[in-house]
Amino acid sequence: METGSDPARPDPFALVMRVGNALRLSAVNVPARRLGLDAGMTLADARACVPSLLTRPADPVADARALDRMAAAMARFTPTVGVDPPDGLILDITGCAHLFGGESGLARQAMALAGYGALHALASNAAAARAMARYGPEGEAEGEDGVRRLPLAALELDCDALAALRRAGLRTTGDLARLPMRAVAARFGEETVTRLRCLLGEAASPVAPRPARSPIRMEARFAEPLIRTDDVLDVIESLLVQAAREMEIRQAGGRRFVVELCRSDNARRGLMVETGQPVRDCAVVLRLLRERIETLADPLDPGFGFDSVSLAVLRAEPLPSSQPELGAGEGRDAPPDGLAALIDRLSVRLGPQNVFRLVPCDRHLPEKAQQPVPASRARGIAWPVDGDRLPRPLMLFDPPQQVEAIAGVPDGPPQRFRWRGRLHDVRLAEGPERIAAEWWRKRTGHFPGKAGPTRDYYRVEDMAGRRFWLFRHGLFAEKPDPRWYLHGLFA
Amino acid sequence: MNGTQDGPRFAELVAASNFSFLRGASHPAGIVAQAHALGMAGIGIADRNSVAGVVRAHIAWKRLGGPGASGVGRAFRLIVGARLVFADGTPDIAVYPATRHGWGRLTRLLTLGNLRAEKGGCELRLADLLDHARDVALIAMDGDAALLGALGEAVPRLWLAATMPRTGRDARGLARRMALSEKAGVPLIATNDALYATPDDRPLQDVLTCIREGLKVQTAGRRLAVNAERHLKSPAEMARLFRACPQAVAATGDLLDSIAFTLDDLRYEYPHEPVPEGWEPQGWLEHLVMEGAKVRFPDGLPDGYRRVLDEEFGLIRARGYACYFLTVHDVVHYARGLNPPILCQGRGSAANSLVCYFLGVTPIDPVKEKLLFSRFLSDERNEPPDIDVDFEHARREEVIQYIYRRYGRDRAGIAATVIRYRQRSAIREVGKALGLTEDVTARLSGTIWGSWGGKELPEARLAEAGFDPANPELARLRDMVDRLLDFPRHLSQHVGGFVLTEGRLDETVPIHNAAMPDRTFIEWDKEDLEAIGLMKVDVLALGMLTAIRKSFDLMRDHKLGDYDLRNVPREDAATYRMLQRGDSIGAFQVESRAQIAMLPRMKPRELYDLVIQVAIVRPGPIQGGMVHPYLRRRNGEEAVDFPGPPGEMRDVLDKTLGVPLFQEQAMKLAMVAAGFSPAEADGLRRAMATFRNNGTVHHYEEKLVEGMVRRGYPRDFAERCFEQIKGFGEYGFPESHAQAFAWLAYVSSWLKCRYPAVFTCALLNSQPMGFYAPAQLIRDAREHGVDVRPMDVNASQWDNTLEGERVLRLGLRQITGFREEWAERLKTARPVSGLEDAARRAGLTSRALHLLADAGAFGSLGCNRREAGWEARRVPAVQLPLFAAFGAPELGKEPEAALPAMSPQEEVVADYQTHRFSLKGHPMQFLRGRLTARGVVDCATADAARDGAKVRVAGVVLVRQRPGKGNAVFITIEDETGIVNALLWARDMERQRRAVMAARLMVIEGTIQRSKEGVVHLMADHITDASEMLDGLTDGSSGASGPVCGDSIRLPPHPRGERSLRGHPRNVRILPRSRDFH
Repeated sequence: METGSDPARPDPFALVMRVGNALRLSAVNVPARRLGLDAGMTLADARACVPSLLTRPADPVADARALDRMAAAMARFTPTVGVDPPDGLILDITGCAHLFGGESGLARQAMALAGYGALHALASNAAAARAMARYGPEGEAEGEDGVRRLPLAALELDCDALAALRRAGLRTTGDLARLPMRAVAARFGEETVTRLRCLLGEAASPVAPRPARSPIRMEARFAEPLIRTDDVLDVIESLLVQAAREMEIRQAGGRRFVVELCRSDNARRGLMVETGQPVRDCAVVLRLLRERIETLADPLDPGFGFDSVSLAVLRAEPLPSSQPELGAGEGRDAPPDGLAALIDRLSVRLGPQNVFRLVPCDRHLPEKAQQPVPASRARGIAWPVDGDRLPRPLMLFDPPQQVEAIAGVPDGPPQRFRWRGRLHDVRLAEGPERIAAEWWRKRTGHFPGKAGPTRDYYRVEDMAGRRFWLFRHGLFAEKPDPRWYLHGLFA
Repeated sequence: MNGTQDGPRFAELVAASNFSFLRGASHPAGIVAQAHALGMAGIGIADRNSVAGVVRAHIAWKRLGGPGASGVGRAFRLIVGARLVFADGTPDIAVYPATRHGWGRLTRLLTLGNLRAEKGGCELRLADLLDHARDVALIAMDGDAALLGALGEAVPRLWLAATMPRTGRDARGLARRMALSEKAGVPLIATNDALYATPDDRPLQDVLTCIREGLKVQTAGRRLAVNAERHLKSPAEMARLFRACPQAVAATGDLLDSIAFTLDDLRYEYPHEPVPEGWEPQGWLEHLVMEGAKVRFPDGLPDGYRRVLDEEFGLIRARGYACYFLTVHDVVHYARGLNPPILCQGRGSAANSLVCYFLGVTPIDPVKEKLLFSRFLSDERNEPPDIDVDFEHARREEVIQYIYRRYGRDRAGIAATVIRYRQRSAIREVGKALGLTEDVTARLSGTIWGSWGGKELPEARLAEAGFDPANPELARLRDMVDRLLDFPRHLSQHVGGFVLTEGRLDETVPIHNAAMPDRTFIEWDKEDLEAIGLMKVDVLALGMLTAIRKSFDLMRDHKLGDYDLRNVPREDAATYRMLQRGDSIGAFQVESRAQIAMLPRMKPRELYDLVIQVAIVRPGPIQGGMVHPYLRRRNGEEAVDFPGPPGEMRDVLDKTLGVPLFQEQAMKLAMVAAGFSPAEADGLRRAMATFRNNGTVHHYEEKLVEGMVRRGYPRDFAERCFEQIKGFGEYGFPESHAQAFAWLAYVSSWLKCRYPAVFTCALLNSQPMGFYAPAQLIRDAREHGVDVRPMDVNASQWDNTLEGERVLRLGLRQITGFREEWAERLKTARPVSGLEDAARRAGLTSRALHLLADAGAFGSLGCNRREAGWEARRVPAVQLPLFAAFGAPELGKEPEAALPAMSPQEEVVADYQTHRFSLKGHPMQFLRGRLTARGVVDCATADAARDGAKVRVAGVVLVRQRPGKGNAVFITIEDETGIVNALLWARDMERQRRAVMAARLMVIEGTIQRSKEGVVHLMADHITDASEMLDGLTDGSSGASGPVCGDSIRLPPHPRGERSLRGHPRNVRILPRSRDFH
C-alpha cells in the first residue's frame, strides 16, 4: 500500500527524509516513478533529473497513524486485521468473504475503502499474500503457483545474501525451493529457510490482529422516565463511576465528556464539558456538569421525562494511575491543581474562548513579550525568573499612548511630558533602553534604515513620585522629529 | 577620510572582525576603513582566540598609508592582538602586544590553547595568561577587584573596559565600573566592544548568530542582539556617551601610545640548517649549483649561462634568499635519497630559475626555453619566492613528516586555507537562518552549477528552479547571501604549503592541530604569508609521479631498461605519432576529452608543442578566444602577424605565433601594449584572482582596453586580451609551469606508447588518480595489444603485475573491497587447492572468500564463479581445532545443488558488478540483436560514418560533463566496439533532462560531425534512456525474445523500510556510476 502518493496529482511529487547526511526520497508518486525516481535516491540526484520535483518532508508518525486508522476501518470486513508497518495491512478473511460477494468482491470494496494507490493480493497464508502484494505481478494467477514465481527479493533477505542467490543463478522463490533445504540453511541460515517455508505455506505465518478499541460509552435506560434534574445527575454520576473504572483500566483520562439525554418523545439534549487536563475523578466532572446545567440559556426541559441517559468520553488522553499517599486526608486530598480546576470551572461558565492566560514570548519588543492564549490550552507555563531582567511595568497600554514630551537631543531622557492633558515634570530618569525593530518582519527590513524605527525606553518618576515608562519612537538618525509614547505605568 | 576631527582623541580598541567566526560581521579591511573614516586615532583588532584576520587588517591599513606615508595616515594607528575567551569562566580579556617579544608571547599562548583543545577550539585558563603576559597591554572586559589585582601584578599596562551598550542601565554600570576602577587602581578604557563597522550590519550579524546557534531569525527571540549599537562610533559620539567619565575616552590614546609593535616588525629568518660547517649559505648554494651545472654540462657552461647565473645569484644574495633555495634543495634531496627514492619535480614559476634547474628542483632549462627569471623573482615585486614541488602522491606524507622531523613542530607548520562562504554554503545556511525549508534551499543551491556562478544569485537560475525572483523572501535571501559571500567560515590546512622558520614558528603565528593526525597548521593563509614576507615551500602530491615511478620500477625489474625522469629518450617520433592520433588515455594532462579533441588539430611534433597543448585548453585562452587563431596559424591557414605597432609584440609573442597563450604573455601585453607598470600588471592579476573586486576590475578593464586601443591595437584584440586575463585569474598557467607539466605529459606518453603493459600496470597500481576508471584503462591497454589476464587466486599479487613485456596480470586490488593483508596471507599459502584450503591455510575471512569467488578468481582451479560463490557461503571462517589437528576437511558431503549453468552474459554482468570491467565481453554485446532491430548502430560504425550522417547509437554512459559556462553537455558512451563522444547543446537539454541525467544506457540520435583532422563528434538531437534493457540482463530475459517493459504503470516492488533509504543493493546497478557533473 503506497501511502503518500496521490494519483490525482499530476506533478511528480516525493516525500523526503534525512538519512545520515543526505536528504533522500522516502516515497514517490506515480508520475515521479514514471520519470525514473524511486525511494532511496538522494534528493540531489532526483533533482538533477527532475528539477521541478515537488517535495515535502516525510512524516512517519503521521503515516503510522493513517495506517492505524485504515486498519480500524478494515474492521468492517473481518475482526482479524493485522498491521504490517510501515505501509501494509493483512486481513484474515476466512469465513467473511461471502458477506461481501466473494473474495474478489471483498477485495474490491476494501481497495475502495483504503483509497490511495493501494495494491493487494489474496493468498492462502499471510506471508504469501504479503509477498504477492509487494513483489508479485498484478493480475496474474494467484495461489501457490504464483508464490513460486515470485522474485527472490520477496524473501527480503539482506542485499548480500540476495546478490549471492542471484549469482547462483536463482531467480524465483521456486528455484530456491527446489534446492535441498540443508544446503540453503548451511549458507543462508535457518531464517531464510523459515521465510521460504512460510511463503509456501509449509510453516505458519499467523496474523497478529490489531486490538480493537471501542470508545468509552455508558448508557442507562429507564422504564419510568426521570423528571427531576437531581435524579438525572445521580444517574450521570453512576455512569461516570463506570466510565472512570474503564478509564482506569485503559490508563486514560477524559478531556471531553458528552452526556446525551433522550426524552420519551424522542427529543434529544446533549451536554458537553471539557477539562484542561485529563481527569478520571467523578466529582470534578460532575461539578462541571452541574455548572453547565446551571448556566444553560434554556434550562433542561424534561417534558414527559428522560427515558435514557448516555455518557461518552469523546476525547481521552493517557493518564497513569497515581498511588494515593499514605496518611492522606487532612486536606491533602484536595485537588492537586487548584488553578486547573478554577480554569475548568471558569471555562464552563464563561465559555472556553473567554478565559485566557498570558504566556511568555521570546521577543525583545515589550508588547510582544507575552501573548494571551485560551487558558484551557495553556499548560505548564513557566515564566523565566532571572534577576537580571530589566524591570517592566505591571500595566502596559495597548496601543501605547502618544504624549507630548520635551527631551534632550539626540537621546536624552524626557524632562517634561503631557499625558491626558496633564503635565508631568520628570524628577528622575533612567535609560535609554534601546530596542531595535525586528527587521525580518518587514519586506525590505534588511536594507539600511528600512527596519523601522528604533525605540528608546526610559523609566521616569515625576515630581509626585508616579513612575512611568515612556519611549521615543525613532532615533534622531532615523527620523528628524520622533514622537513620544507612554507605554506603561509602574505600580 | 576626514582629517578634521570634531571629537577628542579616541580609538576603538576592542573590535572583532569576521575572523571571530560567525560573530563579527565585517571584513577586517572594512573595520579599518570605517575607523579611519570616522576620524579615530587608531583601531585595535582583537578576534576570539585568534590572530587569523590581523594580516588583512594590516594590509588595509598600509593601503591607507601606514608608516612612511604623509599626513593623516601617519596619525592613524592599527594595533593587533586577540580577545582571549577563557575556558575557566574568567571574563574575556583583550591582549595587545607592545613589542615583538610580546607578540611572540601572545602567539605562544594561543598555540598552547589551540594544541590543548580538540580541533577548532582553543582552551585557555587565566593561569596561562599570567604565565605569558610580558610586554603586552591588557583590557579586561569585565572582572572583580581580585582579577584586576592578579592581572595588575603581572602587567603594568592594564585597563578595565567600560561600555555604553544602551541596555537601560548604562549609567549604573558605568558608575559601578568607576568605583571598581578607583578601588583596584586600574584605569577605565572606553570601548564599544564592536562586532561590525556600521549599524547597517546588524541584520547580517543576526543571521550569523542564527547560523552559529542553529536558530531561525523569526524564533531566535532574545538570543539576538536587542539593538544595533555594537558598531564603530565616532570620537565625538563616544565622548558624548562617556561624558560622565572622559578619562575613559582619553585612556584609548594612552594605550595606543604604549604600543610600538606592528606586523612589519615580524622580521623573518629562513632556517639555517642545510648549510654544512664552514660554509656561508650563499657560498654553499653557489657551490651546489655549480656542482649541478657540471652534471648538466660536463664540458663546461655554454655561453650565456654564466651571465644568467650571476644575475640570479646577485638577486638571491641581495635578498638573502640563499637559505630558502637550500631548504627546498634539502627537501628534494631527501626525497631522492630514500630507498626507493621518491620522484619529485618542481612546478610553477620556479621553473624560470636556472638555479632551480641546476639544483635539480625543476626539469626545465630556462635559458634554452628563454624563460624569464623575473617572472620568479624580481626587484619590482617585493615578494618572497614561491617554489612548488610535486611528489608522488602515495608517498608525500613521508616528505611531510621528514620536514616536521627535521625542523621540529615548533619551527614548521602547514599554511592555513581560509574556507570562505561560497554560493552553495551561503544559500544553505542563510536560507536556514531566514526560516526557509531545507527543500527550498536545496532546490536553490541545486541550481547553481559548480562555483563559477559568479557573484550574484542569478535571476534566470531562480526562474529555472521554479521560483519567482520577485518573491520578497527570496530577494532577502539573495541580498543576505550576497553580503555573506566571501566571509571566512573556518580555517583548514593548505594542501601542502609549509612555512619554516629559523626561530620558533609559534612566536610568529599561532599553531593549530589539523584534522589529520600528525599535522599541525598555522593561522595564516598564503596571502597573509606573502604580505608578511614569510617563506612557503609547497609540498604537493601528484598521482602521475607515482605512476611514472612505478613504471620505471617495473621496467627495471623486467629488464626493460633503467630510466629516470631525466634520461627518458627525448623527442621520440612514435610517441608523437600516437599523440597526433588523439590516442592519449592515461597520459598526463592530455587525456581529457577536450585535450583528446585538440591533439589531432595541434599535431604535436616536439616537446614545445606539448607545452602549448597543456596551456591552450584552459579557461584563459578559451575565454580570450585565442585557441582558434592559434590553430589556424599553426596549420598555415592564416598569416602570422603581430598586433599593434610593428616590432613591439614580436619578442613577447614570437613563440606562440603572435597569439598570447600564457599568463606571463598576457601580463607582458598589459605592460608593453597598455603601458601598465609591473606592479599594476601584478595588481591586475591579483584583482582577477580574488572574488568581489568588481569595482577595481572595471577600472583595470578600461585602462587596459583603452590603453591598447590608443596605442594602435585593434579593439577586438584588446577586449579578448582582457577576457583572457580574467580567465587566467581563475586558473593561472604560466609558461614555466606548462613546461614542467609538458615534460611529465611527454614521459607518460612515451611510456604509454612504448610499454603499454608497464604503463597500464603502473597506472592501475596508483589508483585513484587521473581521468579514467580502471575499466577504460584496461580496455585501452587491450586495444594496444596487451594481453590482460584475469585475477587468479594462485597467480595474482595484490598489485597488478607483469607476466611478460606485453602481458598484464590483474591484481587482487582490482576487486572492490578486497584487502591488502588478505592478499599477503594468500601469497604465503600458495598454491591453494580450493576454497576450503584457501580459507584454512591462508586464514581468509568469509568476506574475503566471497569476494574472491564472486570475482571468479578460482577459475584456474576448475571451479567456476557460480560454484565458487555457492561454496564460499558455506565455508566457515575458522576451522574447528579438532579438524585442524587432523588436517581433515571439516565440511561434510552434501547433496548436489545442481545450479543452473552460467551464461556468458551473466559472466560479463557479474564481472562488471564485482570489478567494474570484464575481459570476457561487454554488456552491450548481449543487447546488440535488439538494438539492431531498433535501427541502432554500434559505436565503431558511428565513428566511421561520413560527416553529416544521421545516426542512432547506443552505449553505456561513461562520463557526463558540463564544462566552462555550461552551454554544452559532453557525454561519452561506450559499447563493445568503442566509444562515441556526443555533444548536446544546453538549450536542447531541458526537454530531455531526465534522460540525459539519469540514463545508464543511452540511445543518442544525432548528426556526425567530422573535422578535417578526423575528430568525430556526435551532435546529439534526441536522447532516450534505455537503462531498462540493462536490467533485463540479470533476469536472463534479454535476447530477442522477452517483452520490453515499457511504461507499464505497475509500480515495481520496492525494498522496504529504513534499509531502502540507505541506497540500492549492489545488484540494482549493473554498471558502475558514470563520472558526472552535478
